[in-house]
Amino acid sequence: MPRFRKTRKHGLAFRLSLLILTSTTLIFLAAFGYNHYHSRQLVLKNVQEVAMNRAQSVVLQIETRLRSVEGLPRMVSRHLENKLVKEDLLLSLVHDMVASSPEIFGASAAFEPHAFDPARRFYAPYYYHAKDGEVSFVQLGSESYNYFLWDWYMIPRELDQPVWSEPYFDEGGGGILMATYSHPFYEMSGELRRFRGVVTADISLDALVVEIGNISLYKTGYAFLISRNGAFLAHPDKERIMRESIFSMAAASELPELRTIGRKMVQGQSGFAAVNSVHADSRSLLAYAPVAPAGWSVGVMIPEHELFADVRSLNRMVLVIGAAGFTLLLLVVVAIARSITRPLHSLVRTTAEIAKGNLEVELPVVRSNDEVQVLTRSVDEMRLALKEYIADITETSRAKERIESELKIARAIQMNFLPKHFPPFPEQPAFDLFATLESAREVGGDLYDFFMFDDCHLFFSVGDVSDKGVPAALFMAVTKTLMKGIVEQGMTPADVLEKVNFELCQNNESAMFVTVACGILDISTGELIYSNAGHNPPVLLRSKGAPKMLPMPPGRVLGVLEDDIFINRTIQLSPGDRLLFYTDGVTEAMDNELNLFSEDRLLEEMADMTRAEPRQMVEQLMAAVHAHAAGADQSDDITMLALHYKGTSALAKNTK
Amino acid sequence: MECTSHKENKAVVIKVTGRLDAVTAPEFDKACGNWIDQGETCLVVDLAGVEYISSAGLRCFLVLHKRLKAVAGTLDLSGLQGMVQEVFDISGFATLFPVHPSLEKAIEATG
Repeated sequence: MPRFRKTRKHGLAFRLSLLILTSTTLIFLAAFGYNHYHSRQLVLKNVQEVAMNRAQSVVLQIETRLRSVEGLPRMVSRHLENKLVKEDLLLSLVHDMVASSPEIFGASAAFEPHAFDPARRFYAPYYYHAKDGEVSFVQLGSESYNYFLWDWYMIPRELDQPVWSEPYFDEGGGGILMATYSHPFYEMSGELRRFRGVVTADISLDALVVEIGNISLYKTGYAFLISRNGAFLAHPDKERIMRESIFSMAAASELPELRTIGRKMVQGQSGFAAVNSVHADSRSLLAYAPVAPAGWSVGVMIPEHELFADVRSLNRMVLVIGAAGFTLLLLVVVAIARSITRPLHSLVRTTAEIAKGNLEVELPVVRSNDEVQVLTRSVDEMRLALKEYIADITETSRAKERIESELKIARAIQMNFLPKHFPPFPEQPAFDLFATLESAREVGGDLYDFFMFDDCHLFFSVGDVSDKGVPAALFMAVTKTLMKGIVEQGMTPADVLEKVNFELCQNNESAMFVTVACGILDISTGELIYSNAGHNPPVLLRSKGAPKMLPMPPGRVLGVLEDDIFINRTIQLSPGDRLLFYTDGVTEAMDNELNLFSEDRLLEEMADMTRAEPRQMVEQLMAAVHAHAAGADQSDDITMLALHYKGTSALAKNTK
Repeated sequence: MECTSHKENKAVVIKVTGRLDAVTAPEFDKACGNWIDQGETCLVVDLAGVEYISSAGLRCFLVLHKRLKAVAGTLDLSGLQGMVQEVFDISGFATLFPVHPSLEKAIEATG
């Protein structure tokens, strides 16, 4: 059974497990994907807020510091515009700016050429915090340090407004990153306003740089500050400070998006964007916000992979739990599937055994109250039904065999009692005779007989027993034996029938009867004496003329009443006359539509048999009967006995 | 074959229709036999509806004849026609029992 094994490879258990686990995995993956996406979104939103807040807070911090510095130069500028200030007052004002404010590294009031003192071209007293903490003084401006050309002086003058300078490394102040706030002041004469100089305050950005540089978010997230030009003012990587700008970095790393962001930052916009990291392949998120007074911009950079580190670890956990769940589910499903299919497997084995014909096989016991149990029960019922059926069939075929063998016996009895040697009397030229009996499957109990009981008398008979099978065959045998035993010289056919009837009526408990037509032919004279016991009339075919039924004397069948009387009739046969005795198997032979062969048809068939010999007559008629039946079952025996009387002239001819 | 029977006066009337052959004979046999078993001795069989009778059918009548003879009973026939009439005539059974042209006559005769 190769097919059987093949299907078993992908059995129910396998398919069930596959189906459940596949759908579970799909559901899990869908849930996992959804969860992953949403937690990312959540984290992203959260981070955006955190980064933005952080950037804003840095901005606020810087702005506070810058604003606090801006106040003093403004105040001093006003002072210088309102009154004519003497040198000592001016010096003390500038000195006080530095001394009173630790935020301010250095301060100065720088005048236009000859503006303060017509004798002096440069006038810019500068106070600053020296290294020892003391407030020191120096007069700026010389041919080598022409401050008129410096940004901190030039730009407010040209722009006509206070300005924060681009941060710079102060050469004189010891390499400190500085930014200078320059506030212009004017000489007022009525409507006219003439630029006189600027009041400056320098602040050190070092503290700010350190502070911003120290900001860290997540693991390696950081903050940075860029100037109006995009130069880094604060960055955790100190090497970049004042040496690189966001634009130079964008160009070096080929990050056009960083350039775009840089442009937005120097334009004073704020926002949130994702950029490729400079260092690695990973992406970072960048929040940026402007520091309004100085035109700087703060950026907060957070590597994406750190943001999602929690999400990732959560995902890993979920995956681990999922995998564990999957394994557990696999075990459970396989166990359940096995428990379902195990009884099925053994049932399959059993049914295969039944299919081989072993109906004694015991079916597996199924305790579960489910379809498998129902199936098992059905299979068992089928097995029992098959067993019973086979037993029935065996019994039936045995019975059939018995009947068949009985039929064989019946036919053997019947056939053994019939004379079958033709021509029966070859040395006898006065007549010819032929007889045949075709048994039906169920032997009908027909009989025929003929014998010469002396030199010139032929006795012949045809009969039909009422029953079928062995009893009919036996009854036929008895009848025939009786007739042969009883016939003796001087007896007429009626005498024979009366005696046979008497004998048959003795102990005829089974109520069988037999029809008999018989006759005794004197072969020397052609005189035929015949009698009848309920039999069909024979056909007489004269040498010249049409065949016709020979009227029979009335007479009851044999075996009914023991004292029945039979009547003889006599007819004179001429040479060339023919007689046909037969049983109703001929006239009542039926075709498939139950049409009878009929006596009319018999007469018709015999019309042209005036020259036919007995054997030919019988064979032709038998063929006609068979043709009529056309394959329909023969329900009764068919018996025919044909006699051709040739007469004594033939005898005389022969003896001559 | 169909076989119906009822009692009318002292006679049991058995009406047979269809084919009375080897297949149906036992049924007819049984129907008649039951009445005789019940002690009925006066049977009238109406064969008006019978279209065919075989020797097995005839044999039923011989059985009936023997059984009724033992209890001094009678069997009257009616409705013989066509092939049935012919069979009864040829076999001599027509002279074994009183035959009446109609069922009414047969019942009348038993009364």
